[in-house]
Amino acid sequence: MLAYLQNIAVLFCINAILALTLNFIMGYAGIFSLAHAIFFGVGAYTAAYLALHVTDSLLICIAASAALSAVLSMVLALPALRVRGEYFVAASLGLQVIGVTIFSEWKSVTGGLGGMIGIPPPKLFGYTFGSQASYLTLAFVILLAVLGITALLVRGSFGRSLMAIRDSESAAQAYGKHVNAVKTLSVAVSAGLAGVAGTLYAFYMSFVNVEGFMLDMSILLMAMVIIGGTGTLFGPIVGAALLMALPAALTYLPFIPQSELGTIQQIIYGLAMVLLMMFRPGGLVGGRSKEKSA
Amino acid sequence: MSQAAPHQVLLEIRNLNKNFGGLQAISDVSMDLPAGVITTLVGPNGAGKTTLFNMITGHLVPTSGTVHWLGQSLNGIEPWKIARMGIARTFQDLRLFSHMTVEENIMTVMERNSWLWQTGADAVRKRVDEILEETGLADKRTERAVDLAYAERKFLSLARIMASKAKLWLLDEPASGLDPRSFDRFVALLREYAAKGVTICIIEHNLDIVIQLSDRVAFLDQGKLLAQGSSDDILKDPHLAAIYFGERS
Repeated sequence: MLAYLQNIAVLFCINAILALTLNFIMGYAGIFSLAHAIFFGVGAYTAAYLALHVTDSLLICIAASAALSAVLSMVLALPALRVRGEYFVAASLGLQVIGVTIFSEWKSVTGGLGGMIGIPPPKLFGYTFGSQASYLTLAFVILLAVLGITALLVRGSFGRSLMAIRDSESAAQAYGKHVNAVKTLSVAVSAGLAGVAGTLYAFYMSFVNVEGFMLDMSILLMAMVIIGGTGTLFGPIVGAALLMALPAALTYLPFIPQSELGTIQQIIYGLAMVLLMMFRPGGLVGGRSKEKSA
Repeated sequence: MSQAAPHQVLLEIRNLNKNFGGLQAISDVSMDLPAGVITTLVGPNGAGKTTLFNMITGHLVPTSGTVHWLGQSLNGIEPWKIARMGIARTFQDLRLFSHMTVEENIMTVMERNSWLWQTGADAVRKRVDEILEETGLADKRTERAVDLAYAERKFLSLARIMASKAKLWLLDEPASGLDPRSFDRFVALLREYAAKGVTICIIEHNLDIVIQLSDRVAFLDQGKLLAQGSSDDILKDPHLAAIYFGERS
């Protein structure tokens, strides 16, 4: 039972990091990305490749994953960021499709559909994170660090620039904000930190394959952000906790047949989203009303 | 804010044209904005006044013609760079940072870069406090812009441009819809900043503003600059009045 709870807690930490980093661009910069799972995947594959072929040092793997995810996001997002609103959503969907294709087809690096297996546990200053309890501590510390970085960024001048751009791009430009630079940097920070989550995931699962980074993962992350509260610091964590706890909670309801769990789970997600948007559009943490008037 | 020499030409517009497909929105407009002078652009709807602002601030690229700021061409320069050169504007539809607080709206305008560590944070806070007092928004500082009353939003729009340290303010219908008390306070603030050396160009339909504030009036119609002069000269011209009130022959 303890191992089961620890497993959920580790996966919660990873998903909470991803939701926090998606919220950073979605809630604060107004960039709705359907490709977040790809940067999670880039981080996971980078860590897996390094751990299997170069080093199992946690610090090196985290740094490399974050750097590669951030740089790739800048290269891919730079042209896409020139389009606005719903056009960016469509462009990010394209990125998601391309990413999944590369993960599944670049067999020499990613292992193709079979993925990469046998990833060793990471080491930090000679200590090996071999037990689930030690890994939970690590995941929790990294979640706190990502929360701290996000809070620092959104509460300072960078966050104000992001929110100004989100609320009115033309007014932000008219007051000297370099919109493309700020947006690109925000995407890089978000993707870099999603890469860190990917590292945690790869080491924890000890294997990676493309199924963890598909479109449904990007949508699940978006649901965590929206349900928790877009543009709030703690909303994504609440959203992640709720959506992680729900499947576990459903398994304890004796009247639901095991074979129907998945279907019922999807119905509950959908219903929760519809009800939230109707009665609490700001999300659980964001408050009752998103705005009083236009 | 460094002051330019009185009547030095800050902004020089020459033979400016803007076409949208077959529509000529601005047609061969040439005019100067001298330092310390309040210029009002008047004209009927669709005269091209906002299009002119959009071309000065880089939000639209002219089809032909030039705009020079302190002798430097603005053609092809991005809006954020033009803003940093000292030209700021307001928008007819305000475009406030709706989900940010009043204080944040002002503060972000004062932050020239987005780095985590800002220099002169204390000076910024002091100036934000001053602006909040001047605009009467001090007790609204923690409210979101979207939650403000209409007149308060207008003052927040003005507060942002006051925070920008720009030498030239381009105000697009800043006083429309204000109640008389707010209107008087608004005019007093504009006068105060003009006296401090800010050059102001206003698009306005409210003739009270034109009469009370303008040193100079420029009359546009169908993209053409028909006349420039004192408010008396322009407003008393029966031909221009007929155009303005839609009684063109």
